Amino acid sequence: MSTASIIKLTVSAVAAVSFFIAKNVLKHKPEDSVNPKKRKKLNRLFFFGLILSVWYFIACVVNEITGGMKGINVEFEMFADRVDIFGLSVSKSTVTTWYIIAVIFILSLIFRLFIFPKFKESPKGIQNVIEILVEAADNFTSTQTHNLSPVLGEYIFSLALLMIGCATVELFSVRPPTSDLVFTFSLGLLTFILINYYGIKKKGFFGRVKALASPNPIIMPMKMLSDIAVPVSLACRLFGNMLGGMIVMDLLKGSLGGYAVGMTSLAGLYFNLFHPLIQTYIFIILTLTFINEATE
Amino acid sequence: MNAIGAALALLPALGAGTMMGFATAKAVEATARQPEASGKINSILLLGLALAESTAIYAFVIALILTTKV
Repeated sequence: MSTASIIKLTVSAVAAVSFFIAKNVLKHKPEDSVNPKKRKKLNRLFFFGLILSVWYFIACVVNEITGGMKGINVEFEMFADRVDIFGLSVSKSTVTTWYIIAVIFILSLIFRLFIFPKFKESPKGIQNVIEILVEAADNFTSTQTHNLSPVLGEYIFSLALLMIGCATVELFSVRPPTSDLVFTFSLGLLTFILINYYGIKKKGFFGRVKALASPNPIIMPMKMLSDIAVPVSLACRLFGNMLGGMIVMDLLKGSLGGYAVGMTSLAGLYFNLFHPLIQTYIFIILTLTFINEATE
Repeated sequence: MNAIGAALALLPALGAGTMMGFATAKAVEATARQPEASGKINSILLLGLALAESTAIYAFVIALILTTKV
């Protein structure tokens, strides 16, 4: 243990204790001796200082135990590692997706068997939440696609559930499947199939071809190309965003070393929670927009 | 050489960032003029931002492909 670290530890401990004492002294002061505005300000200041010094103390202790920073060594790969399952080489993100699907399946079974039969005419508690979620998905889908199909809402809901599940996996420091190009490209292909299915169903095969050649038959190859670009662009967008978030989090963890205590959960609020939700929303709204475009 | 190529490939981020700023500025203007339409403006803005952002994302993916050995 070096002198510098001892000084750091004692300073942070003394700061934490003094902030705590100051906060308590302020609390027990009589009401009219301090200006209420100033009291609020001081209270906030002491609380902030307490948290900061406690964080620094914990970070110093962690640094002492683990031996401090060992330099940044962030390595990432475009594709996840592969594992062998019964002689088949399977990507790790596929296995993670299986786990997520199993969890969602079990949860939905529990909901179906134990919670849905107890539903009443007037919603209460968890029934309210489920009804709001399902209604929101249905309403959103039908307004975006102008009441195209009643089944589309369920697809969108399960897609959102799967992608949110993929995002939460990252909180357990597992590589999220959405940061694998294969997963995102298969989602993009699903969108492509849906676009063509609904386009052909609504307009007929020749109607769809006619829509492709609508102003002039010369631009038909261009339009076909832009149709084929849809799944690629969807896949690359989701993949790039998720991989970017993952790399930023890895860089943060690597560069902060022992001081990453608590910091990663703060940054993770944005990079692991808000960012995937926004991307899910964008993926869904783009899917619905393209489907609407093909059927109009 | 690969690193220089990756850095050059990230140039589109300049345009994407500037234009996303423009789009957001216009959306703020529109919301200030018509606060009751903020929900609609918000969804349109998000869609536009996603499309504008994709340029930068493609650049990012290309830079990744250049720097990592696939």
